[in-house]
Amino acid sequence: MDFRTAAKYASLLSKDYAEDIFALLVNYQAISASEVAARLDLHIKTAQDFLEALAQLGVLSKEEVLEKKRPYYRYVLQQTRLLIDIDLMQVKQEPTHNSLSLRIREKENAGARFAVARNEDYITNVTIWTGEGREREERKVKLTTPQGKFLYHLPFPKAEPLSIAGIIQKAGIDESLAPEILDLVQLLEKYDVIEYLPEEPK
Amino acid sequence: MSLVRKLKPDRNITGALVPLSMLPIFGIATLAFGLPTGLTILAILVWGFTLYYLFVFVRTRNYPQLFTSAYSAFIGYWSFLLSTYLETSKEESQELMLAYFTCLIFFGVVLGYFVLTRKFKWRGREIFELAGESVEETGNGYTSRPRPVGKVDYSPEQIHAFARFCSRNLIALPYMTSKNITLVPIKMGEEYGRLLGFSGDYRDATWVNFDVDGEVSVHIAQKDYLDYRESLSFDQLCTSLGQVFIDFFDLYNKGEGVRVIDRMDDLRIPVLS
Repeated sequence: MDFRTAAKYASLLSKDYAEDIFALLVNYQAISASEVAARLDLHIKTAQDFLEALAQLGVLSKEEVLEKKRPYYRYVLQQTRLLIDIDLMQVKQEPTHNSLSLRIREKENAGARFAVARNEDYITNVTIWTGEGREREERKVKLTTPQGKFLYHLPFPKAEPLSIAGIIQKAGIDESLAPEILDLVQLLEKYDVIEYLPEEPK
Repeated sequence: MSLVRKLKPDRNITGALVPLSMLPIFGIATLAFGLPTGLTILAILVWGFTLYYLFVFVRTRNYPQLFTSAYSAFIGYWSFLLSTYLETSKEESQELMLAYFTCLIFFGVVLGYFVLTRKFKWRGREIFELAGESVEETGNGYTSRPRPVGKVDYSPEQIHAFARFCSRNLIALPYMTSKNITLVPIKMGEEYGRLLGFSGDYRDATWVNFDVDGEVSVHIAQKDYLDYRESLSFDQLCTSLGQVFIDFFDLYNKGEGVRVIDRMDDLRIPVLS
């Protein structure tokens, strides 16, 4: 299950009336939104939205009914077990040879402010200005110790750029921490604090 | 041979303004309350300087500072003595005046010697000139981040001794923590703010840091970077500043601390700059 689908399930299950609606769905063969609303004293739109969302997720099936009046839907439970199973490793940024070989350095006039730790050689946070004009606001990015060490060893603007792997090695950071370094690099690149430079022609 | 300076000419008068500010205060006090009161206020101000120089001596162990403290104590004492004479309308004894002038000559000559031989001079400008000397490339690239410039082998005792040497010769003001020794070079005129804590956190100033593992890192404040005539390559400038201190450390470690002083004196930077 992907994260977004799991979030939809979680959102539906977190409703106060979720358990009561599921109780109706389990005990009734088929039920309409108006019946649910009347039984649980909910607004019909609330019951309708909840049932539609479950139908979209495939938990319910719906069939159109015509009983000499406006057509409506009756909902039937299709799954008696709900299992939210997310593999968190799917969002892990596995460092590839390519991503680690990107050559980077600080961008000139980045306008970022770096706060250095008092007793150690690393940077504790970076303050970045985002937005333009009246929308301009300060954003403070707190760094983990490996990220701080990485940034401490980042080449200066106009200095010879280094590969991410090279900086990791120079800063004495364990290679297993590369994903959090890559995350920082992507963030700072987005805010124009870091620039990528192409490989020099051999 | 003419020396090509990398720094802009020093037009900072802060250093002179602080002692000179005593004169208008003395003048206004005299105008308002009469000469005896003016002299008493002058004595109090000069004694303020006595305490300041005593504090600088305690902080740096630079003996000319102790001498200046004694000198200002002497001047303050005579101002105070003169004010009491004027109030009681006593006649000044010739012996007392003779003692005053001989002491004044002694203090004046010794102080002049300290000034002319640069023993009283904060060496910040020399440090920045030496750092800029080897940097030819321009291109700015300023960043507020510190730069690691290398690793040096030393024992804690060696680096502590070097920090004391830098402090004693006013090369840089050391700040010591359990893991770091940070040397902050100070230019003439900036010493009041830095020593009295009006210049903010020393981590925002220009510094060279030696940590317990031998790592050396450098930070250059934007104000100091803008003091160079050209936008020197910032990366190289940081490396060069770190190298200046590493070279100084090597010389000091070999027992050739005097060569460090010679290197700075050879720049012939004006004594009050």
